[in-house]
Amino acid sequence: MRQLLVLLVACLAAADGSQRVQAAEVPLHEVIDQLVESRAGKQPLAPMSDDAEFLRRVMLDLAGRIPTVAEARRFLGETAAGKRFTLIDALLSGDDYARRMQELFHVMLMERRGEHAEWTKFLRHAFDQNLPWDRVARAMLSPDATDENLRGAAYFLTARLTKEGAMAPVDVPGLTRDVGRLMAGVDFGCAQCHDHVSIEDYKQVDFQGLHMIFENMQSRGGEFPAVTEKVMAKPREFKSVFTRDARTTPLRIPGAGNVAIRTFPKGQEYSVAPDRKAKRTGVLKFSPLRELADGLATGKNPLFARNIVNRLWFVMLGRGLVEPLDLFHSANPPTHPELLDRLAGEFVSHKFDIKWLLGQLARTRCYQRSSRLPGDRPLPPPTSYAVANQKRLSAEQLFWSTLIATGEIDRVKNANDATLEQVVARTEPLVELQKQFLKTFSNPPKEPEVDFAPTVKGALYLMHDQAVLDLVKPRPGNLVTKLAAEPDAGKLSEVLFLAVVSRGPTTADVQVVAKLLENKTGAARIEAIGQLAWALLASTEFCLNH
Amino acid sequence: MNHCRSWEHGWSRRRMLGAVAGGAGVAGLGGMLQPAVAEEMARSDKQILLIWLDGGMSQLESWDPKPNTPFGGPFRSIPTTLPGIHVSELMPKLSQQMKRLAVVRSMKTEDANHSSGVPKILRGQPRNRGVTYPYLGSAVAKLMGPTESGLPPYVWVKPGNGGFIAKHAGFLGAKYGALALGDGKPPANLVRPDSISSAADEARQELRRRFNRQFSDRRRGNFNEANSYVYDVAGTLMKHVELFDETKLPEKDRRRYGTHDLGRHALLARRLIEAGVRFVQVTSYGWDTHGDNFNSHASRMPKVDQSVTALIEDLYDRGLDERVLVVMMAEFGRTPRINGSVGRDHWPNAWSVAMAGCGIRPGTVVGETLPDGTDVKTTPYDIGHMFHTWFSAVGLDSAEAEYMNGTQPLPIAHDDMHKVDELLI
Repeated sequence: MRQLLVLLVACLAAADGSQRVQAAEVPLHEVIDQLVESRAGKQPLAPMSDDAEFLRRVMLDLAGRIPTVAEARRFLGETAAGKRFTLIDALLSGDDYARRMQELFHVMLMERRGEHAEWTKFLRHAFDQNLPWDRVARAMLSPDATDENLRGAAYFLTARLTKEGAMAPVDVPGLTRDVGRLMAGVDFGCAQCHDHVSIEDYKQVDFQGLHMIFENMQSRGGEFPAVTEKVMAKPREFKSVFTRDARTTPLRIPGAGNVAIRTFPKGQEYSVAPDRKAKRTGVLKFSPLRELADGLATGKNPLFARNIVNRLWFVMLGRGLVEPLDLFHSANPPTHPELLDRLAGEFVSHKFDIKWLLGQLARTRCYQRSSRLPGDRPLPPPTSYAVANQKRLSAEQLFWSTLIATGEIDRVKNANDATLEQVVARTEPLVELQKQFLKTFSNPPKEPEVDFAPTVKGALYLMHDQAVLDLVKPRPGNLVTKLAAEPDAGKLSEVLFLAVVSRGPTTADVQVVAKLLENKTGAARIEAIGQLAWALLASTEFCLNH
Repeated sequence: MNHCRSWEHGWSRRRMLGAVAGGAGVAGLGGMLQPAVAEEMARSDKQILLIWLDGGMSQLESWDPKPNTPFGGPFRSIPTTLPGIHVSELMPKLSQQMKRLAVVRSMKTEDANHSSGVPKILRGQPRNRGVTYPYLGSAVAKLMGPTESGLPPYVWVKPGNGGFIAKHAGFLGAKYGALALGDGKPPANLVRPDSISSAADEARQELRRRFNRQFSDRRRGNFNEANSYVYDVAGTLMKHVELFDETKLPEKDRRRYGTHDLGRHALLARRLIEAGVRFVQVTSYGWDTHGDNFNSHASRMPKVDQSVTALIEDLYDRGLDERVLVVMMAEFGRTPRINGSVGRDHWPNAWSVAMAGCGIRPGTVVGETLPDGTDVKTTPYDIGHMFHTWFSAVGLDSAEAEYMNGTQPLPIAHDDMHKVDELLI
């Protein structure tokens, strides 16, 4: 009962927030900055990022890669006043956006459990079309096998229903937990066998009432991911391992509460009967998965919107308003409660438009601050957003950025290639390189990629893997070859730093380059240029979004 | 399946507030335990070597034989160098090392499943606070850090694949995971290709460090620290590449340890310890003898007997026994009852653990089981008692030292348990 009240209060707050925002004419990004800056109080504010820092950051976030030298020069040379907002809009409607979102949501939702072509197709479709988040989530929670573009969404469920070795049972409780975590920001995992021992809001009945939906379902098998459900007849019985009290529950949807089970006379359970011969699964009159989608993927459910806006805030600002991202409960309040309400409310009233929200976040001053604080005052905490937070690059971001930085794309692309993906797909060594990057720089399966977690494995890979070393060898058309043709250390530095770390060199940088190349000619000079390119690729600056 | 994770913790509010108020610098130290303890431990030269017999070695065919009883099985017991103490005849060499060893025959733990039992034992099964505790190796990596050698503090020698096993670290974070050497082979990409000279490598690394210094100036530093750390470790590992070259080992050593997996891996473990790795774990798989327990042990025990004896001898010969703690155990023992497949099943109710070296009182046997071996007759000890004992043996006060999980202080071993003084010098 208690957690229901908590959720109800949160719900009212969200609804209230959206109404207020509609009444006011202030754009959301302005509201965000007012709320963040008023809370930051007297913390020292970092200056706004310069254009190079901003360009790299926003491209990594919205295009999933660093800018090319040409893109960087164009943006840095642009003088129009509103050029940052123009860039943001261009990226949101650009070629890279859907790929980046596909990669981002794949990692967020699948946590490196595996890949499936149908799943990839679904995600790409969703972001190509900018489908609203409630529609995307519904496709995952209550998959529609008849929609070719969306049916792959079932992989969200089926990938979690695979056996992992002879001794390991199919982890249905893990699926229950993940739906709570990833769709509602609540991790009921510890409430499977008893009420959560330390989180008052998380009750065993929440887990069991959600879990019964997935116990009633199974993976259908076949060429595309799909699930079938059985007829659900009765409430779930469960016992707490602490109290041993026998209890029952109907369906329970995180953030929405109970859904009574509706039963029908035998033979009348389906509105469209299943047909084995036609391989048609039938449509249940009472489908628990459909109930779940109805109750969860809606603006009426406060957790649903708050979870996703918190995750998108984390993607852009490097820290969640609620952290851990999947531990929303009343004793773990957001750092900026009013802000979270406003974000969730406006997101719902903008029809769950992810592209719109990302655009608003990118427009804020707190997104555009520098990650560097000049002077000697102590750095304020990450939750203040007074100094931009540094963020981990995903394996995907690292891969695309490495290809661009080293001029590998320039080296292999031809006139027919429309996208980065096409270049890689038809270049066998790059397909392999991509595989190795994903293997090396991803977390192990099921570990959320939240924190920056460099590894010795990653370091040794960049240091010694031949395919990586080849990227900084002179090959016709690549970066090192271009640099080798430049006799002037200053001009060489300009291209080198712009190509790899997306900024012009500092005076100190130019000195380092000049000193290293001094008196070197021929092969020795080229080797030194390769060392410079490698050192920048392996630098902390390159492997972060800062 | 239980899914509790690191941040699902039930801390006491009082302690949390205390930690925040009293330890302003705690977060800056990367969530370390008490800074003073951390500093002291970092200077320590103590090391730990864990031999893990995965699946569950039988106590009845090793440290606690019960010959001529209904459950005793076919093997005899033999006297040891410790008067009155017998062990299984499958350990003739170790029986001669008994004066150097300490054995606990009164282990009584809770979990009879491999999948949950292994992590529970290796985590010391602390009181459930909803936090995923680190395995012993990760715990030691965190609490003591690398030795002066700079080598990765937790190296795991195992059959099969290697890699970096982050999950052993639990809430401590991936950095404290195991560097696993699959079949004793070096990690991937350890060897610098010939195309890069040593000078060229140093030149590019110096450039990298230089760029990093400039970048991290006036930015939050922990990101660059973490990234620099993995390159430092990689560099240190490379300097020890000879550790992985078995061809350079004296033939005599190879014969003494045995050319089987356990022998080769135990020998590598000794060399890793000598090189300065803080914690080395050697794993031998396949001890789950539900069927044909006696033939299995007849073929497996001699390998343990041979390699562990060679290890103990070498540690003593080199004077390493004073600073290296050796522990040999599994996730549980095996049932006294012999099943229909002439096997023994899982038995956490009464089993044995052996140890030697640093801080351990040599020639000690603690506890006793019932005549038929079904239960512990004396004070039962849980794995938490062993963790306290081993931490104490290497100079860590486990009643005082704590981890910091964010703002949550956590005991490093079960807070209802204590060290076993009989085992300690």
